[in-house]
Amino acid sequence: MMVLTSGLLSRFLPAFLSGMSVDFEMAGIALVLGLVFGFLLALARFRGGVVGATASLVVGLMRAAPTFVVMFFLLNALPHGDLSGVMIVAVSLVPYAAAYVADSGVDALRQWHAGSHLACLLILPNIARAFFVLVMSSSAGAAIGVPEGIAILLREAQKLPSIGDMLILFVIGIVCFSVPLQAGFAAVRLLQRYLGRVALRNRPEPLPESSPVPARS
Amino acid sequence: MLRRLACTIVTCLIGAMPVAARADNSPDAALARLLDEARATAANPDACARPDRDQLVSILCTGHLRVGVRDEYPLFGTHSGNTWQGYEIDVAHAVAQRLSVAVDLTKVKPATRIPMLADNTIDLVVATMADNTQRESQVRFIRPHYYQSQTVIVGPRDLRIQGEDVRGQTICVTIGNGSNAELVSRGARLMLFDDPAALPEHLADQACMLAAQDDTFFAYYLNDPDFGSRFTEKFGFAEAPWGMGVALEHTDLLARALDLISQIFHRDGVFLAAAQANHVGTRFLRQQQEVWSRPDCNTDSGSANPACVLPPSNPDLAATPFANGVAEFEAMVARLTGIELTLPMLKIAPAWSLFLNGVVNSLLLIAGALIATLAFALLFGAAMSASPRPLRWTARGVTIALQSSPILLTLVIAASIIHELLPYSAVLVLSAAIIALGLTNGANAGQAIAEAYWTLQDERGGLPIRRFELFLRALSRSATQIVAFLINAAKGTPIASFIGAPELLSALTDITSFSSGRATTYTLLLIFYTVVVIAVIWLCRRFQTFLERGGVLA
Repeated sequence: MMVLTSGLLSRFLPAFLSGMSVDFEMAGIALVLGLVFGFLLALARFRGGVVGATASLVVGLMRAAPTFVVMFFLLNALPHGDLSGVMIVAVSLVPYAAAYVADSGVDALRQWHAGSHLACLLILPNIARAFFVLVMSSSAGAAIGVPEGIAILLREAQKLPSIGDMLILFVIGIVCFSVPLQAGFAAVRLLQRYLGRVALRNRPEPLPESSPVPARS
Repeated sequence: MLRRLACTIVTCLIGAMPVAARADNSPDAALARLLDEARATAANPDACARPDRDQLVSILCTGHLRVGVRDEYPLFGTHSGNTWQGYEIDVAHAVAQRLSVAVDLTKVKPATRIPMLADNTIDLVVATMADNTQRESQVRFIRPHYYQSQTVIVGPRDLRIQGEDVRGQTICVTIGNGSNAELVSRGARLMLFDDPAALPEHLADQACMLAAQDDTFFAYYLNDPDFGSRFTEKFGFAEAPWGMGVALEHTDLLARALDLISQIFHRDGVFLAAAQANHVGTRFLRQQQEVWSRPDCNTDSGSANPACVLPPSNPDLAATPFANGVAEFEAMVARLTGIELTLPMLKIAPAWSLFLNGVVNSLLLIAGALIATLAFALLFGAAMSASPRPLRWTARGVTIALQSSPILLTLVIAASIIHELLPYSAVLVLSAAIIALGLTNGANAGQAIAEAYWTLQDERGGLPIRRFELFLRALSRSATQIVAFLINAAKGTPIASFIGAPELLSALTDITSFSSGRATTYTLLLIFYTVVVIAVIWLCRRFQTFLERGGVLA
């Protein structure tokens, strides 16, 4: 049990937490860019017509493009000049983030259009959920040498003598990731329930012939 | 007494004379004859003006030897102010001294050294140039070689490597390095960089765990006390002899003279002393000193003796049978669209083989990941819907752990455990990837099935129904979630390249490490995966419709 008995843990944990902050940073950048592009695409899809069809096609392609392959494409096929590893990973996450925001955005716009402003706010927990998915996906940066959490974890594990020690270190890493993640998901669930309750309280009395909410495409 | 003393003195003097000078077929005697003849020719002003004169005569006519050397290659050739330093600089000076001429040093780069010889800007290149079969048609190499480099793997001192086993290890390399193909064949994963200077930098910041590059490149860094205390050479491979080079035309005499000089320099330890003075590795030079001191090599024909001279390295990779057709297609695309399309995976035989295997393995991996996801979804769904609480809690605990572990880490854990149990193989790595992807996505989908199951049971308010039928209805209700995680599993398959699964991303990274056409290669990769995932989405939507229509209940 070299992991627990030596000073390795005290050396590893600060470095690992610092690496995890890089994951959050990359996810944050991707989410901001995804929100910008996603809402533009959602608006275009909501308008319909040729613009809407084009936006749907773009969203479909972005949804299908694997993040890991996009990352290698950005790294190798495009002239990225001074683009850092962190930015390459963040930009590679943008297609997923933008497609997700575009899908949720169309739903939100439909709710808003139908007069259910609180239901529209349900997009907030969805975006929070997307952020946590982005944090987990940003570990792909380890494959191109970005010093994020998993890269630091694997580097330390490679120096350990036995599979038992390595597994203990991996469990420590999973626990470190699970704390903010599970707390985040719990917060999302609370927010979702709160918004749901508020929406129920503020629901207008049903009219004899109320206009239906447009179905999701 | 006096006679005996005189005999002893004569014997000692003869013994002290260079061994080679005693025989007519020694390289020393051959060189002396050659230089005498060339000097006699150069003494004639008409000979110096003749356009077809040998380059050796030109050098003797002008009294200057123009040598192309590197100016930014630590320990071998550096230039600062008016000072040139390095092993190759000392070699250039020693050659000029032997010819009794002055030396003019000119900086050259790998891209300019051969053209500068061809256009007669320089007489000789001593500039880290490996002697290989590709270059033999462009330059005349001087043999014996004055140095030999090899590719070394450098990594942290506390990192253990079993023998030369680098299977599954990520190694940082520079694109186009001739040894990359060998690393690929040894099962290493490559991380590509354009500039060698990035390698020590990324070793230091720990972005690279291991790096591969010429030992001559790393020698400078390993001599640095700070770098050297943290990193060390793990092992070396892919030796490449370095040769001085002269132009192909009008250089018969010059090349012959330099061949003989190189022989003598090896035998007499001139190269070795220069290397020691510049802190350059001497293992090869010590071996060569032994070789060129042997009677069969220490002759005027030694440089042509295959038992004494090293052969050039052979970096040529076999072409595919349809390489010419592909080249014509590339040219046509460039002509019609202006786009520089490069398809090395279709032109180079080993690349074609890697590419085909990559495509097949990717499709197998996707199919395997989809089947595993569905199987684990049913398993986790059933466990989390079961009556015994310990079973439910165990399944839920595993699901939370899998949700909290980035997929990259889950893959590494699966690969580590499987490697511990069974010996490494491509099938094993693919299996580990399928299990990891199936577990991660299947656990999430299983959770959705269980949630649907308990919701359905609550809605029925205790009305009797068979558990199996309720489970099938739960499958139907959670169809959207199941399909979402199936698509996610298919999209996640390229990540398997991180643990060394030989799928397409891994194969194309290997191909681009020893060939050109990175932009085209990775664009094709993106198109391939996007099209495959779109096909998977289409299939999954059909499956979703089947589930939602209650197909499983029929």
